[in-house]
Amino acid sequence: MGEGGDGRDAIVVLKNVKKAYRVGEVVTWGLRGVNMVVRRGEFVSIMGPSGSGKTTLLNMIGLLDKPTSGEVIIDGIPASRLKSKQLALVRNRKIGFVFQQFNLISRLTVYENIELPLIPRGVPRRLRPKLIVETLLMVGGDKSWLRKKPTQLSGGQQQRVAIARALVNRPAILLADEPTGALDRKASRIVVETFKKVNASGQTVIVVTHDPEIGHCAERMLKISDGVIVGEVKPDPSKCILNTLRG
Amino acid sequence: MVSVMDIFRYSYKVLTEKRFRAVLTIIGIAIGPLALVMMTSTVRGYASYVESQLLALGQNTIVVTPSSGYTLTESDLKFIRSIKGVADAQPFYMTQAIIKTPSQTIRAYVYAIDPSILLKAIGNLKLECGRFPAPNQITLATLGHSVAYSEGTGKQLFKLGDAITLLIPKVEHGGRTKLERVVVRVAGILEQYGGAMFVSPDQGVFLPELAGERLLHMKQWSGIFIVAKSPNYVSSIVNAIRNAYSDKVSIIAFQQIAKVVSSISAAMDFIAFSTSLSAFAVAVAGTAATMITSVIERTREIGVLKALGFTDGQVTAMILGEAIIMTAIGAAIGITLGSLGAYVMASHGLTISSGASKIVIRAPPKITPRIVGYTVAITLAVGIIGGIFPAYRAAKIPPAVALRYE
Repeated sequence: MGEGGDGRDAIVVLKNVKKAYRVGEVVTWGLRGVNMVVRRGEFVSIMGPSGSGKTTLLNMIGLLDKPTSGEVIIDGIPASRLKSKQLALVRNRKIGFVFQQFNLISRLTVYENIELPLIPRGVPRRLRPKLIVETLLMVGGDKSWLRKKPTQLSGGQQQRVAIARALVNRPAILLADEPTGALDRKASRIVVETFKKVNASGQTVIVVTHDPEIGHCAERMLKISDGVIVGEVKPDPSKCILNTLRG
Repeated sequence: MVSVMDIFRYSYKVLTEKRFRAVLTIIGIAIGPLALVMMTSTVRGYASYVESQLLALGQNTIVVTPSSGYTLTESDLKFIRSIKGVADAQPFYMTQAIIKTPSQTIRAYVYAIDPSILLKAIGNLKLECGRFPAPNQITLATLGHSVAYSEGTGKQLFKLGDAITLLIPKVEHGGRTKLERVVVRVAGILEQYGGAMFVSPDQGVFLPELAGERLLHMKQWSGIFIVAKSPNYVSSIVNAIRNAYSDKVSIIAFQQIAKVVSSISAAMDFIAFSTSLSAFAVAVAGTAATMITSVIERTREIGVLKALGFTDGQVTAMILGEAIIMTAIGAAIGITLGSLGAYVMASHGLTISSGASKIVIRAPPKITPRIVGYTVAITLAVGIIGGIFPAYRAAKIPPAVALRYE
């Protein structure tokens, strides 16, 4: 796969990706031909207004949805040639997801929620506690949360648990869809700090957001509108929430 | 590779979240195995009991009784003895009697018969004490265990040498019935035989054959007891008698009755099984309804699992795991309650009435590993059939669609 100018190889490549939704006779285009490359270890934000195709694009990168046409290549693997089982395997090994609404399973404890990605990976049960605790501490969590149910935690704490769940398998790519959308600014700042920390350790972070204070925290900022990438803007760190909100 | 333990742990957690719904579904599932175990084991218990009783009476034994208007005579006895395969044939008299003691009234059956054929015909018939009277000792009797001992308290009512008064109903001219008093002395007491099918050794008073005419004043034989040389001859002997006498006599061959009972019990077994299947059909519908509701409620969660890397097969296994856990619990509850129900039914007994006399059969239910095994198998099949469609449906939802589900 091609390499970026800084010598880092491309981990996410989208070639003319289109996505159409058909409802009866009406066809709606979610993506109209997206071309993009994200290099290994980059922190990229994708910004755009509501309905611009941000989440559809993230679903393509995350192999949660199939493009109508075009090619998605993840870490050198062309996704269009993969069957459902192989797609699940790539998602499990290479991609971690963080959702706006956390999507933690309320009946499970924090420990069991973080444990979930380790199950399809076949990690033996005796090895799981160490991985789970390490990951939770890495995202600024606390051991005392492990036995709690998600509903016993604050929104910010829940999102850190969700990030721990996304990272416990040590995926190459972390995808976050409006990760601060349900959080106050203080909690949002902690989430961004965590992303920075994760990115500093070499993981690729792609965040979809409509919030400039989050978007400007990235290394690159892509703008999407009406299903196409309309440009790339150099982020202004002074507008990043880490600088606008001190504390 | 996902471990089975992980699948069942996750599935169990799902069930504990909606406990009330899971409990109701489990109750619905439990009705099938409950009905199957209770009905099948009870039917098989009674069938097995009746068959064993009939076979204990002797697979070689045939009883011929005269139909109304026909009298068995010496020439009939001679003919029967001449049939190929007949080892022995002896006439007998049989009547009912009432025995009154200070504490209770006993209803007994009085048989005047050669005891040697009785011992050949009824397996495991043993004397507890005393002896059978000699052919000419017409005033001596051997008592069945329930005549000699009180059934309620077990207290001995008659001992060897005691005189015993038999009140025998006699129909006089004009249709009036009077009780004739016959006094005999106890020469022997039989061990408890158990059961009471067709011939009732426990409720019997056995006299020598000569007593029938001389003491009981019966004018004709009640029937002829026949013992075949081997069970293989029974059919040909029955056919020979039927050909010779047509409907002048009734023929009871215990071996053949056992076969009939066996085929009836097989039919009843099938009916019990068919009836239980309808309960299982309801269970399939109940499980499917519960699982579909559960899957719809958790559509978003299924999307999350898929995003985290669970395959369609693993999602199917997790949903199916819920159905299997519910059916396994349902099977355990159903089989346990079905077994208890079968014992309760057996303790009440089955009453067979014939005119004034009635027999209560108490047969233990036959709960075999085979019955339990196929009940568990059918119940688990219910879970799999009821759960497979919702599980497949859940697995096939595209993750992006599932994650959008509100």
